[in-house]
Amino acid sequence: MIRLHGVTKSFRDAGVEVPVLRGVDLEVAAGEMVAIVGPSGSGKSTLLYVAGALDRDFSGEAVVAGVALAGLSAEARADLRNRAVGFVFQSFNLLPGLSALENVMLPGMLRRGAREAAAAIRARATAALDEVGLLDKAAQPPARLSGGERQRVAIARALFARPKVLLADEPTGHLDAVTGEGIIRLFADLAAAGLTVLVVTHEERVSRAASRVLHLSGGRLSS
Amino acid sequence: MRARGLLWIALATLRADRRGSLLDAAAACVGAAALVFFLALGLGVSAAAQRMFPADARLVEVVPGNVRLGGVLGGGALDDAALRRLGALPGAAAAWPRLSLRVPVAANGPPKGLDYNWPPGMTLQIPVVGLAPEILAGDVGAGFRFEDPGPGGTIPVVLSRRLLEIYDKTLAPAWGVRRLPPILSIVGIELPVRIGFSIVPQKTEDRIVEARLRLAGISDRVPIYMLAMPLETVRRLHREYAKADQGYSQVTLLAARPEDVPSLTAAVRRMGLAVDEGERATAERVGTVVAVTTGSLVFLAVVMCALAALAIAQSLSASVRARVKEIAVLQALGAAPSDVRLVVLAEGAIVGLAGGIVGVLLARGAAPLADRAAAALLPDFPFRPETFFVHPPWLVALGLAVPALAAVLGALAPAAAAARVDPARTLS
Repeated sequence: MIRLHGVTKSFRDAGVEVPVLRGVDLEVAAGEMVAIVGPSGSGKSTLLYVAGALDRDFSGEAVVAGVALAGLSAEARADLRNRAVGFVFQSFNLLPGLSALENVMLPGMLRRGAREAAAAIRARATAALDEVGLLDKAAQPPARLSGGERQRVAIARALFARPKVLLADEPTGHLDAVTGEGIIRLFADLAAAGLTVLVVTHEERVSRAASRVLHLSGGRLSS
Repeated sequence: MRARGLLWIALATLRADRRGSLLDAAAACVGAAALVFFLALGLGVSAAAQRMFPADARLVEVVPGNVRLGGVLGGGALDDAALRRLGALPGAAAAWPRLSLRVPVAANGPPKGLDYNWPPGMTLQIPVVGLAPEILAGDVGAGFRFEDPGPGGTIPVVLSRRLLEIYDKTLAPAWGVRRLPPILSIVGIELPVRIGFSIVPQKTEDRIVEARLRLAGISDRVPIYMLAMPLETVRRLHREYAKADQGYSQVTLLAARPEDVPSLTAAVRRMGLAVDEGERATAERVGTVVAVTTGSLVFLAVVMCALAALAIAQSLSASVRARVKEIAVLQALGAAPSDVRLVVLAEGAIVGLAGGIVGVLLARGAAPLADRAAAALLPDFPFRPETFFVHPPWLVALGLAVPALAAVLGALAPAAAAARVDPARTLS
């Protein structure tokens, strides 16, 4: 479901080329939950965004949900992200001006070529919020939700489009232990249900729940 | 769905920053209100000026030349031969003669039923011009005929609409008499006159005939301080009072198209005749003054719209900078850079349109208030309109389109900046 081969990426810093990924190879199958661990600044998030078709400035081969990313237009990559990839971020990244329900509706509103009515999108978003146990918070803005509730809203938003791939960047980083455990269990359940889950983390408890743990260091991935 | 979805996101974003959105909309509102108010005022004043100085763009008023060379160069006098030649000029659709009556006509009593409009003891000397019926086509009231009734008959006459207005707004107040009833209701009234009588004794003819004039219509084509009779009536009176034929006093040439007027004017002058451009020049001068004033005010309004666009540009730029992470999240959820650009442009358009709607409503609401203030503060004068504002439908469309367009133009740079957001770098 995710296949990276020889992915290389570097940043320019003060005119100097700084390599971040050096020929990374990675394969994550459907139903697998893979954790990538490594020190801060090792390029974990960069790898995640390459796999999520957010970062186009890399060399090597990347295939996500059966789609080769090389040569894809900005619109095609956006469409791939919308239909096949769900993102969960450490700091939740909910839009503060929207309610919890409206945040979950966003992927539906951005869908290209779909004829789904706003009312239908709203109904599906309501169901998604219900699945994460936040139906009663649907009208609340993110500012009135706890950290765990925000992350569950973010997960509902990521799963709204029924993606094939879920990419999580330090998903428990801002959560307490109990709430974090709940999120980790949810990810494991999703993987067991057939979703491809790639989690970037530096937390031991997340790694324990993963079917595979890979280390990223010096721009190279190792088991 | 996607267009509606992007609109939904734009609306949600604006809702999230209500204060900023309201300020931007207020800027657009001021521009729209000024634009609609000043343009409507300009159109209204222009319409009033046209009523005051009606100038038909196809008419050329030909008068005898100042220097007459007789038949040597074929010009000078406005006789029947000149009339035929004028009518045959390229671009001329018709030539209508005017003949001033050289027999004095006076009224020493009011029309029946309008006694209160007549100062006691007044004798009114009436200047008369004979006009061809065709020149007044459309201005003669239904059921009336503008033709010579023959000796002893009631003579149909047509008055200048402007004379009635001046009487109502200037003469009647000065004389301390009542104003006239509405124009249509005075058509048909009869005025007893004495043909051959003049208030200047030396000008009085040997034969004075009692006659009746019947108002058959009101027209802008009648000279302002004259009364128009059928051309044939004037000719008959000249014959009856043995007045020698001195040719026509004026010929009105009707050009086939307004653009034929310059070549017609030149041809007339080549014939040794002159063109009376007094009315046209006055109308053009007034029109120019109104157009320049309106243009200046509209320019001011457009500058206000441009300032609104700058304010919106600045505000949206700040907004885009502040929510760069939100933009990156939208991209992570499936928005392409073009979508992000459209969302920001839609935000500008919504703000501009909302400001435009309120601005148009404000301008429409301010117009009657301004009219009321004008009625209270300005003295009554001829041709003072009921309203100084004209609101054609296109003005409403313009009042909505200009601020919306200005806002979209203002949103172009912030939209481009939003589209350049690198989601991977921003979210890292």
